Amino acid sequence: MRERFLTGYNDFVLPFVFGMLFVLTYCLIGMIRLIMQLPAKDRKRFFLSLITPKILFKDIKDIFLKCLIHVDLWKRNKLLGYMHSSIAFGWFMIILVGHIEVFLYTSNLGIKALYYPIFFRYFVAETESTMKGSLIFFLMDFFLLVILSGIALAIIKRVRSRFFGMRRTTNPSFLDLVGLYSLWAIFPLRLLAESFTADISGGSFLTKSLNYVFTEFLSNHANMLPAWWAYSCALGIFFCVLPFTRYMHIPTEILLIPLRNAGIRIVNARKGLAKAQVYSCPSCGLCIDACPMGVMKSNIKDTTVYLNRQIRRNNEARIEEISDKCLLCAKCTAICPVGVEGDKLRIAQRSMRRYNFGPDYSNIDTSVLSEQCNKFVTNQNKNVSLTDSKRVLYFSGCMTALTPAIRKATESLLGKAGIEYEIMDRDGGICCGRPMFMAGRFDQAEQMVRKNTEIILGSGADTLLLSCPICYKIFREQYELPGITIIHHTELFGDLVSSGRLKVRKDDTKYVFHDPCELGRGCGIYEQPRQALSAAGDLVEAAKNRKESICCGGSLGSLTLSFEKRKAMTENALTNLTAASPDTIVTACPLCLNTFGRYADRPVEDIAQVLDRKTN
Amino acid sequence: MDFGFKISPSSAINLDNVDTVKFEQLHDMEPDVYKCMACGSCTSTCPANRFSGMSMRKVILALQRGKEKDVVSMMRNCMLCGKCTMVCPRGINTRHLILSICRIYREDGK
Amino acid sequence: MKENIVIIGGGIAGLEAAGQLLGLGYKPIIIEKSDRLGGHVADWNCLFPDMTPAKDVVGRLIAGATEANIFLNTEISFVNKLKDSYNIMLSNGISIITKIILVTTGFSVFDASKKEEYGYGVYDQVITNRDLEHWFNTGNDRRIDDCGMNAVGFVHCVGSRDEKAKNPQCSKVCCITAVKQAIELKQKFPETMVYCFYMDLRMFGKKYEDFYIGAQRDYGIRFIRGRVSEVSENIDGRVIVKAEDTLSGKPVKVTLDLLVLMAGMVCNPDSTKVANMISLPIDSDGFLKSRDNVADIIDSPKDGIFYAGACTGPKTVPETLAEARAAALKIHLYNKTMQ
Repeated sequence: MRERFLTGYNDFVLPFVFGMLFVLTYCLIGMIRLIMQLPAKDRKRFFLSLITPKILFKDIKDIFLKCLIHVDLWKRNKLLGYMHSSIAFGWFMIILVGHIEVFLYTSNLGIKALYYPIFFRYFVAETESTMKGSLIFFLMDFFLLVILSGIALAIIKRVRSRFFGMRRTTNPSFLDLVGLYSLWAIFPLRLLAESFTADISGGSFLTKSLNYVFTEFLSNHANMLPAWWAYSCALGIFFCVLPFTRYMHIPTEILLIPLRNAGIRIVNARKGLAKAQVYSCPSCGLCIDACPMGVMKSNIKDTTVYLNRQIRRNNEARIEEISDKCLLCAKCTAICPVGVEGDKLRIAQRSMRRYNFGPDYSNIDTSVLSEQCNKFVTNQNKNVSLTDSKRVLYFSGCMTALTPAIRKATESLLGKAGIEYEIMDRDGGICCGRPMFMAGRFDQAEQMVRKNTEIILGSGADTLLLSCPICYKIFREQYELPGITIIHHTELFGDLVSSGRLKVRKDDTKYVFHDPCELGRGCGIYEQPRQALSAAGDLVEAAKNRKESICCGGSLGSLTLSFEKRKAMTENALTNLTAASPDTIVTACPLCLNTFGRYADRPVEDIAQVLDRKTN
Repeated sequence: MDFGFKISPSSAINLDNVDTVKFEQLHDMEPDVYKCMACGSCTSTCPANRFSGMSMRKVILALQRGKEKDVVSMMRNCMLCGKCTMVCPRGINTRHLILSICRIYREDGK
Repeated sequence: MKENIVIIGGGIAGLEAAGQLLGLGYKPIIIEKSDRLGGHVADWNCLFPDMTPAKDVVGRLIAGATEANIFLNTEISFVNKLKDSYNIMLSNGISIITKIILVTTGFSVFDASKKEEYGYGVYDQVITNRDLEHWFNTGNDRRIDDCGMNAVGFVHCVGSRDEKAKNPQCSKVCCITAVKQAIELKQKFPETMVYCFYMDLRMFGKKYEDFYIGAQRDYGIRFIRGRVSEVSENIDGRVIVKAEDTLSGKPVKVTLDLLVLMAGMVCNPDSTKVANMISLPIDSDGFLKSRDNVADIIDSPKDGIFYAGACTGPKTVPETLAEARAAALKIHLYNKTMQ
């Protein structure tokens, strides 16, 4: 390769150089600000993670697999996966190979390093020795073709999203459209520009062939410069609008992945990790179809993708509306390809709310409550050898008080299994704190956590049994109960059934198991309830299950959804559950039981009820 | 002049003098606040009732009657657990109502 | 008078209308799903306000309708709309062509197990008003302890006035039924304490208020203004009921040997089925929609189709019988204008 121009410069590079410098500066400043916004403890943790080889390796692997290859998207939707990875990975390879090419064939780069890797073909001419670079020529054309195929799919998707199995997609904002069209334009323009110079600077199967086929037009070097200008302008425009469009997700995600791998959690609703998540949202709209509220068209603009958009716009009224409406079922979090935590983000928004007064539980005397459940303490004094090593404290929870069937069946099963137990809230207790936590009032929730901790630690139990997944989640995540196993009744009964301590009669009743949000996505309990149910009958699956189970609509997570507005969601969830026409719908959450029971056309039972009926 | 005794203020509620500004504000946010038929389900199911006498029924009534001070002390121990929302036969979203009250009314009753 | 008149439902409304139509010289056809006539009233023991035995009322109605064509154990398979008449296909294979249909499909008793917090079907001491009447009739219910009941409670408005149960309407008759049943229980077990948990007492009918006064004054039945919110079980197997005594503003808790749930009236799913077959509209309360809820309650919006009784909303026995008679007359007049 030899240089065609002595200066190695042409005015057309300016739009690109300007755009690139702008976007790089913007991202650098943004990144520093974001890291500075992290609480000092988290910041330290982040820096430490960057010098821990294991985490660093995971960061690099994740960035490669997620940002470039989009593996999560591939798993969900092959076509969508190909579309995204072809553009991302193709572009990355073009930049990489472009740089290699430049460093191989030029010396004394200097300032030219800014634009040479992008516009190399304009500034050089082919020489005898360049055939050795034919592999590079081929690679450049190959990846350009890959990108172009991705762009073609993107255009089809814009016109017909159903073709990609997506029922609904986002409405782009004006700047998003500018970004979108400039992105689409970049690669065809590059193809055009490089085809003009293919007879001078060389090319491969794509550019060279085009140059030959359209010899009249493309070989006319007078037309060359406008094409290169257009290419550079498209790049420049794209880079200049990038920070203000959804494409900001490209640089932000590279930061989000190490932050997440460092184990940082959302603290501030708008700063630090929350900000990184908001800007990492690519507006792909997968959360729209996933959202259980989406059955009502009026709720579509209240999905996570729109929350992210409104947070970027600082539209406080809408942010409040969106974050208060959500059921916090966390399905959007489960399916999000970049890892935006829609539920946690919303709880954080709620925590910003200012109240004139708030609850305070310092007046509650836990000793009265402790007396209700001190059986193990007094027993231990009298008789040290207990019949069973397990001393179970059963916290049935507020909701279970309204579904006595669960409590009765659970007590009965505990009796059958010969487990010694004590009920912590027979006469009412203190709420676990999760509903308060969901409302974003962390201090109050923390107070309740402390009160309950006192009672539990004073009870002499070694196992805390819960019926309600809402309680279970906060007990697992926020309570510090050393020496006490926290267990949900599905786990306990699942284990008792598989160990043979509960003998279940099997018949041919068809059961479907509904994964409650807080138990499945919230705590990752999927297997035990299924094992236990398989022992009792024929287990069938819902159309969407496990991680993608659909919220019953009764969730306490939503603050504003009125009773009537939840009906459509419940009915949709029921349709999903009854896809395999089960005889009985089985769940493991008092709230789901209550909600489904209202609208279901067949029996709805808690897993404890099913097992209790089928054991002696 | 101090006579060593005074006439205690009337315990009667004079609806002519009740300041309804805040209640109207609450009503704008929570149209359902007028739906309550005072059945008392919320009170009897409330886990905070035994600690601070919390009663959603009384809260709604007291606010309508302009007795805001009673409300704040009752709501002191509300745990936002949602049982009242579950049992309400009129389908009132009591949890959000509680949060709205905490936003509109003040501890000192001003 | 060859015109066919089809009466759907052999409850008291259907029987009374059939009796009247027979008297007017018609030969109506009664289609009854179950194996006996009399509907819900036949399950009852005594009727307020005069404690008339229900079987007397039903027996008289059945006697008055024996001349009608009665199909028991029969359902409607489908209905075809012809030009100016309907072709009704029955489950026993018979098809009837008629220009006049009287819908007397009545109501269903609300399924009390849907109110999970009351523990119907979970606790042995929780029964419904219907179960209690059954016990009055047969004396046979393992859940009721014949001797030694200390306290019994009645919960009004179970599945009525309840948006959560999808029935915002008042079932009208449960208040007086509860008072009646409370008195009857008290007559059987004078030592037992009887509580009625109510939201509002709606004593609208003839002599109802006298009943209420009697229950308070003569029987010492305790009325507590508060809806029961939770029912739990005691260690000795009795149920603990929690409510708020809204009049004193204090929560109350009481241990009971028997809890009777006053399950309300909801639209019979069979009414909805029939309505779908003949394209009749459903009103906002879930019951069948009349042409006008004031003046034309027994007219459906379609010519030749009439209603009587609880298919259009909760009704008392006298109201139902009055509607049945009115419907018979209306059918007679309608038939005359057709000819």
